[in-house]
Amino acid sequence: MVEFGGYLLPVQYAGVLAEHRHCRTAAALFDISHMGQFLLRGADAAEQLAKLLTQNAAALDVGRDRYGFLLNAEAGVLDDCILMRLDDEEFLLVVNAATAADDREWVQSHLSGAVELVNLSAEGWGKIDLQGPRAADVLAPLADFDLRALQYFRCRRGRLDGRDCIISRTGYTGELGYEIMTAGEDVPALWDRLLDDDDVAPAGLGARDSLRLEMCLPLYGHELSRDRTPLEANLTAFVGDHEFIGGDVLRDRARSGPDETLVAFRCDGRRQPRPGNAIRHGDRQVGTVTSGAFSPMLEVAIGMGYVQPDAADDGTELMIDTGRAELAATVAPKPLYAQGTARTKLE
Amino acid sequence: MSPKDLRYTEQHEWVRVEGNAATVGITDHAQQALGDITFVELPDTGQQVEAGGEVCAIESAKAASSIYAPAAGKVAEANSALEDDPSTVNTDPYGDGWVYKLELSDPSQLETLMDAEAYDAFLEKDQGGS
Repeated sequence: MVEFGGYLLPVQYAGVLAEHRHCRTAAALFDISHMGQFLLRGADAAEQLAKLLTQNAAALDVGRDRYGFLLNAEAGVLDDCILMRLDDEEFLLVVNAATAADDREWVQSHLSGAVELVNLSAEGWGKIDLQGPRAADVLAPLADFDLRALQYFRCRRGRLDGRDCIISRTGYTGELGYEIMTAGEDVPALWDRLLDDDDVAPAGLGARDSLRLEMCLPLYGHELSRDRTPLEANLTAFVGDHEFIGGDVLRDRARSGPDETLVAFRCDGRRQPRPGNAIRHGDRQVGTVTSGAFSPMLEVAIGMGYVQPDAADDGTELMIDTGRAELAATVAPKPLYAQGTARTKLE
Repeated sequence: MSPKDLRYTEQHEWVRVEGNAATVGITDHAQQALGDITFVELPDTGQQVEAGGEVCAIESAKAASSIYAPAAGKVAEANSALEDDPSTVNTDPYGDGWVYKLELSDPSQLETLMDAEAYDAFLEKDQGGS
């Protein structure tokens, strides 16, 4: 167990590699109750959220999710988050645990008009993620609605095993899967019910990290921070063209171009690079590692890091200095693991 | 219970002594604590090591750890099979999962190491205290 954002979380159950492979081949269950959940509702909710987030809440259809960022006035990333539109005047915002308290204060202090923020986390709401190619087969029989009709990046309210939930077809693994938000008292029973299925095994923070890294999904505090904008992180696809805090600065920066860019790399060997390791190209230091892990699917070490734009092309040969060893690595297309089932079309 | 025929360090290495030769690995307790081993850095053959000095390193999916020398000597052999399959350290820590062999300068240095009974007691105390 480790402390993470004020919660005690398991790093592993059966072992990181087994949990990781189980998620890629069957279904893994993650307890993600530490993440912040804010319900925003009211006649002005859409317009107020649009002003705060890079995802345009006002243009989001009911039943859809959108990934994006909460930026400060300098376009630094305060957090990354998923916004779910549950109804015309009701949104669920899911944020990181370590930043949740600051996020809530920031959002609350910028809201005006007819909008109310309900801190579901403070009311004890939990979140469990079921992720893997078997996820729909496991979950559909428990749903009181047609779960298979819920497409990628769609959300809805519904009952699972008789419990009121918010269900979103999203996740952090690259696999077909669902994020399930529900009242805290319902989490243990739903958790146990899902684990009754032979296809489901619990997975901890270790597998969650290696799964997201194979998919090159950013982790706040590693790839994302106040010191960088979505431009350097190569994530401007998640920035709308509406007016929002930090938007003008971000567009100005986009015109001049970033001075560093986030890349994924694949090492030749199994040894893991660590955050903070220097990245060299030829005899020049070109950047810094932000995440590193052993990839259970590729069976080599992988990672992400920020490098100067002229060392960012796919195929660029890098040398990573761990302080103890030099690791040969190559810039590789994202995602590093390309066989994820997240976008699978269900009948 | 740890194997009776081995000696143990407080850093959770085991040592099998045959005359002037010592085979070194990490204990079952150590491999369990590290979890899935993903990489073993092997020492160079001929490398001189001091008693208690760092010889090489081992990485798992969740942690990295150093492996130390139980006594002074010269590295005689490294288990190169671990390069391709480091998980052998998990599955057979006292057998095929050995890490390196040492040609001892002074075998009497090993007399200070724990026997199996002392190591098991050490583990119990270690776990009780943490």
